[in-house]
Amino acid sequence: MGFRILPKEVESLWTLFTAPVIWAVHFLVCYVWAAIYCAKKGPIDAGFPLLRGGIGAATIVALLLILLAAYLAWRQWGFGVVDPPHDQPDTRSRILFQGFATLLLSALSFVAVIFTALPALFLEACFP
Amino acid sequence: MSARGTKKGGGTAKAPGSDDRQKREAQEKRLRAVWKSPSGWRYWTSVNNTDIGVWYASTAFMFMLFAGVLALMVRTQLAVPDNDFLSADVYNQAFTLHGTVMMFLFAVPIFEAFAIFVLPGMLGTRELPFPRLSAFGFWSFLLGGVFVCGSIFFGAAPNSGWFMYPPLATSEDAGIGADIWLLGLSFIEVASLAAAVELIVGIMKFRAPGMRINMMPLFAWYLLIVAGMILFAFPPLIAGDILFEAQRLLDWPFFDTSRGGDPILWQHLFWIFGHPEVYIVFLPAIALMAMIVPTFAQRPIVGYSWIVLAAVGTGFLSFGLWVHHMFATGLPTISLAFFSAASEAVAIPTGVQIFVFIATLLAGRVIFSVPMLFGAGGLAIFVIGGLTGVMVAIAPFDWQAHDTYFVVAHLHYVLIGGMLFPIVAGLYYYYPLIGGKLLSARLGKIAFWLMFVGFNVAFFPMHLTGLRGMPRRVFTYPEELGWDWLNLISTVGAFVFATGVLVVVFDAVRPKGKALDASRNPWNAGTMEWATPPSENWGMRSIPEVKSRYPLWEEKELLREIDEGRWYLPDAQEGRREALMTSVLDGEPQEVFRVPGTSYLAFICAMTLGGVFIAMTYHAWWLALISAVAFFVALMGWIWTGTGQIPEKNEKDVGRGLKLPLYVSGQPSAGWWAMFITMIGDGTAFGSLLFGYFFYWTIHEDYTAGLPGPGMVWPLVALGLFVAAWLIMIISKRLNSAGRVGLFRLALVASLLLTVAGSGAGLAGPWLYDMNPELHVYPAIVWTLVIWTVAHAGVGVIMQAFCLAGSFAGRLTPRYDKDIHNVVLFWHFMAVTAVFTFAVIGLFPRAL
Amino acid sequence: MQSALDPAGHEAAQVSHLFEAMVIGGAVIFTAMIGLLLYAVQDHKRRRTVSEEGAAKLILWGTVGTVAVLFVLLAVSLSVWSGLRQWDPEPGAPQLQISVTGEQFWWRVTYHPSDGQSVVTAANEIRIPVGQRVNFILNSADMIHSFWIPPLGGKMDMIPGRTNHLSLLATKPGVFRGVCAEFCGESHALMAFAAVAMEPADFDAWLAARANPSPAAAGGEGLQAFLRQGCSACHTINGTPAAGKVGPDLSHVGSRQSIGAGILPNTVETIARFIREPDMVKPGVMMPSYAMLPENEIQAIATYLKGLE
Repeated sequence: MGFRILPKEVESLWTLFTAPVIWAVHFLVCYVWAAIYCAKKGPIDAGFPLLRGGIGAATIVALLLILLAAYLAWRQWGFGVVDPPHDQPDTRSRILFQGFATLLLSALSFVAVIFTALPALFLEACFP
Repeated sequence: MSARGTKKGGGTAKAPGSDDRQKREAQEKRLRAVWKSPSGWRYWTSVNNTDIGVWYASTAFMFMLFAGVLALMVRTQLAVPDNDFLSADVYNQAFTLHGTVMMFLFAVPIFEAFAIFVLPGMLGTRELPFPRLSAFGFWSFLLGGVFVCGSIFFGAAPNSGWFMYPPLATSEDAGIGADIWLLGLSFIEVASLAAAVELIVGIMKFRAPGMRINMMPLFAWYLLIVAGMILFAFPPLIAGDILFEAQRLLDWPFFDTSRGGDPILWQHLFWIFGHPEVYIVFLPAIALMAMIVPTFAQRPIVGYSWIVLAAVGTGFLSFGLWVHHMFATGLPTISLAFFSAASEAVAIPTGVQIFVFIATLLAGRVIFSVPMLFGAGGLAIFVIGGLTGVMVAIAPFDWQAHDTYFVVAHLHYVLIGGMLFPIVAGLYYYYPLIGGKLLSARLGKIAFWLMFVGFNVAFFPMHLTGLRGMPRRVFTYPEELGWDWLNLISTVGAFVFATGVLVVVFDAVRPKGKALDASRNPWNAGTMEWATPPSENWGMRSIPEVKSRYPLWEEKELLREIDEGRWYLPDAQEGRREALMTSVLDGEPQEVFRVPGTSYLAFICAMTLGGVFIAMTYHAWWLALISAVAFFVALMGWIWTGTGQIPEKNEKDVGRGLKLPLYVSGQPSAGWWAMFITMIGDGTAFGSLLFGYFFYWTIHEDYTAGLPGPGMVWPLVALGLFVAAWLIMIISKRLNSAGRVGLFRLALVASLLLTVAGSGAGLAGPWLYDMNPELHVYPAIVWTLVIWTVAHAGVGVIMQAFCLAGSFAGRLTPRYDKDIHNVVLFWHFMAVTAVFTFAVIGLFPRAL
Repeated sequence: MQSALDPAGHEAAQVSHLFEAMVIGGAVIFTAMIGLLLYAVQDHKRRRTVSEEGAAKLILWGTVGTVAVLFVLLAVSLSVWSGLRQWDPEPGAPQLQISVTGEQFWWRVTYHPSDGQSVVTAANEIRIPVGQRVNFILNSADMIHSFWIPPLGGKMDMIPGRTNHLSLLATKPGVFRGVCAEFCGESHALMAFAAVAMEPADFDAWLAARANPSPAAAGGEGLQAFLRQGCSACHTINGTPAAGKVGPDLSHVGSRQSIGAGILPNTVETIARFIREPDMVKPGVMMPSYAMLPENEIQAIATYLKGLE
């Protein structure tokens, strides 16, 4: 009896959430970093470009991880050989469904990470 | 292991004949007897999901009408400038209560009601896993709601807006209304977390055999996500409420800037709850549309996976929006911009759902119905709300629109279009399942047009009114500003809308004795909830194995087979209510789960817990204490008699030659899941308090303001003692499984003593260093974290004592050890809490 | 006067244009979506059924379109946004600072001229020069209030314990109405102020005059009654012994556009009414009622105050 936090089958349900979790972590990193920086440094500070760079780096890391998750999802989806709906009562259908849904979520998360990072592209100071 | 063709249970189909029919009738008699709702006054102790679902929905609708009347009062006052229909004070109570009641006593409970009523049938099972919990949730809701609504008759309603910002809401201006608001909220928080536990366990583990996750009805997908959202959204509000009440009751300065507090923390905690909350309210209503649209397009949904994308995507993204309610508070621009971006992004999964519904309709053969009318009208309204939402997501525009009637327009467009209209559609759609009658299509059409036209006439002008400068929450306005006609038109529209609502209410409550009975599946829908006849309480006559997303469409013989008891659990030989537990991904049967039946304990627990909250609101401490003791006793009674029961045999034949265990402990068991889910919610609340600790650090140059901390020694000692207690709990579980019962009991005692010692050490730090929580926010937040940890340790001690008692009473044995598994799971979370609390207060910011 | 759609300031104008663009875009999207929806709910006898692949394509391309539109909108807004509130004036460029503190239910105003002239204290009315950026320093004495002049720009909350900044640039002269835009108590609806944008030369003259006491401050029965009744415990009138700081500064109250924080016209009658029954005019107000005073005394004080130009 190994030490397992969750049943195996639930772990594989949770891979559905991989990409959104990456988005969430990226969002938190950006927000918390900027908030603490602006709270402690003051409105206009020369260190702001460093913050922007950091956000850029975090964004690239997040996007790469999401691409990896998307690749795994695409593979789970059988590389798109079978189109939806995956509504047959067998394990293969269930796995294809999971793969497709995970792929869609990866695409959404990819877009959402880019949206989150855009402010760092346009804004040049903490302002107030 | 499996004995084939047993004579009980109607397994394989034998030759038809009176022999077979006699067996079936005997089965039905036993089933009916065990699932019967109690009669007379005992009816109110029922825990049947159909009973509770109807009570919940009726109560929620009544609160909605109450809040609607408040809105009409508001609109009457605003019909003309400088009006004196309501005084400022009454007006402020009216609008506050309108928002509070609509959000907390209608929007959230109504979806819980629908879920409790319709989800078991939809999943192909008979009940939700914890019926007493549903009953407890309902009674808590009723008690809290009556209290909150009643307050306005005593002029004591909350009056600082439904989100009650400090310092106004924590000041004397707010009166006892603020405490009543908190009280009402506490009930709803309890009921909602209970609902989240039920829904997650029910949807993950109680589906019909063969209902894999790719075949689950979309309503179930949506509610699974929503239940998860509740788990992460409500706890920050609970944490905020604790700080709020501590300030009001004990004068701990969490939001008082003169002593280091910050009202902005309340706004963060409230909106971290508040934004996901509106999606918690919206998604289940749209989920009803996901069931209604395929029925009236007469085809399966097009884009099932896209809906899953939309539900999960919205669920996650909605947690990244909360600061958009705080765009005008002066936070750094870059911070605001992240939330603008996420608020834009959330429109993507939201739009996906609308495309899916349109696509399904386009590919279908649409037939007219009142549910579709309300659904389509609601979507049209919602689209407008979504477009204005994208507008206010942009902070510079929001700087003009925030706190004006533009936002009032936006929020009503999304809530009424995205929630109310679909809920009414759901009411018309599912009404036949309640008592076998249909609502009138003629009245439905009249109601729709009154509501649709009235709503738009009332709220569309408000976009203009707001941008012309009319702020929210104003009890009157002057003449010369160009708002007069707009407000009058809005008022007229509101009354037209209300008339439409009354038509629906009238149709729903009038006696229908003479109306024709609805047929078994009047809309010819494809999903399993329509296999549960309203004339019987047993839900499904037998539990089928499903092979498609729309079993009633695609498996023609299924309904007959279910009704003839040819599937699983067609009988109740031991006189118990039973359902099947199945695996999460593929719906493989795993266990026969015996759900508790009728009980008055849930009712008593709700009333006594309610008594505690109510007594505390009025500072009646002795009454609160007595009520708390009564609650504790009733709760222990509930747990002792209702959980971890040792069955009379190990396995049961469920029909068709399948035998399943009756007792499972550890990870696959429902109780383990319930504990896990509850502790996730609890952990999120703790995380929110910890967030508060760090938040105060960010806003102060000198966090501790020169005040003493708890030192390093006592917190680290406490940490060590708690970790030791935790390790011994893990060991104790293994000792028990290995049959070393005596050592097991000793280990429990040892762990208990270590816990008490650890609690003492934890309290010693702040106590011995004279940390005074009334002085400044730093000692206050340290004490809060320590008290939270010690309170949980108290719960841990009660659990250890419970296991000890269970071991001596013979209900906790090496073989039947559910309780210790669940308690050890609690202790994992307890350990994390203790480690974080003591490490943080002991080392930070000192170690920096 | 109070409309965000009638811009007289730089920020309000930018946002108004953005809003117009969004309304047009929104109307187009709405028409397309509702058109599709109305077509789709047509009874199956009235229209052809679309194929499942075609319908699925709608979902895909609809989503892609949504992403594209939102992306463009976000990028455009961020670029507009970054040009809106300029905090960092060019070195050497003067910037007028006005600090405003929100109280229940009035506005404490202090002008800090950039050229070293003396500070001017006032209440319940804001005057600014056209064409020059003004930096508002916003605080609160009690609850959360919010400072908003819709024709000029967006709002900024006034939060106790926190100082917020709002930078506004009026582009046209005029009299505008600002309001408190965060619920702050019983009379939140009755907390407003006139915001007057003046030509720069007029403004400088006005501000200079405000630094001195009103010519009518010195004398008369009205002032005696004012002091006798203890009004000076809360109110300041420059050039007299009255130096109370609890309530609004009344040094030049006669020349304000309105009284009572934007809710009553400025006449002897209304001033008298406010003195007599402030709690009826403004429920929850801190000023006690003076209805017990003889009417002629109230009239004298009101006439005196109206004369303080």
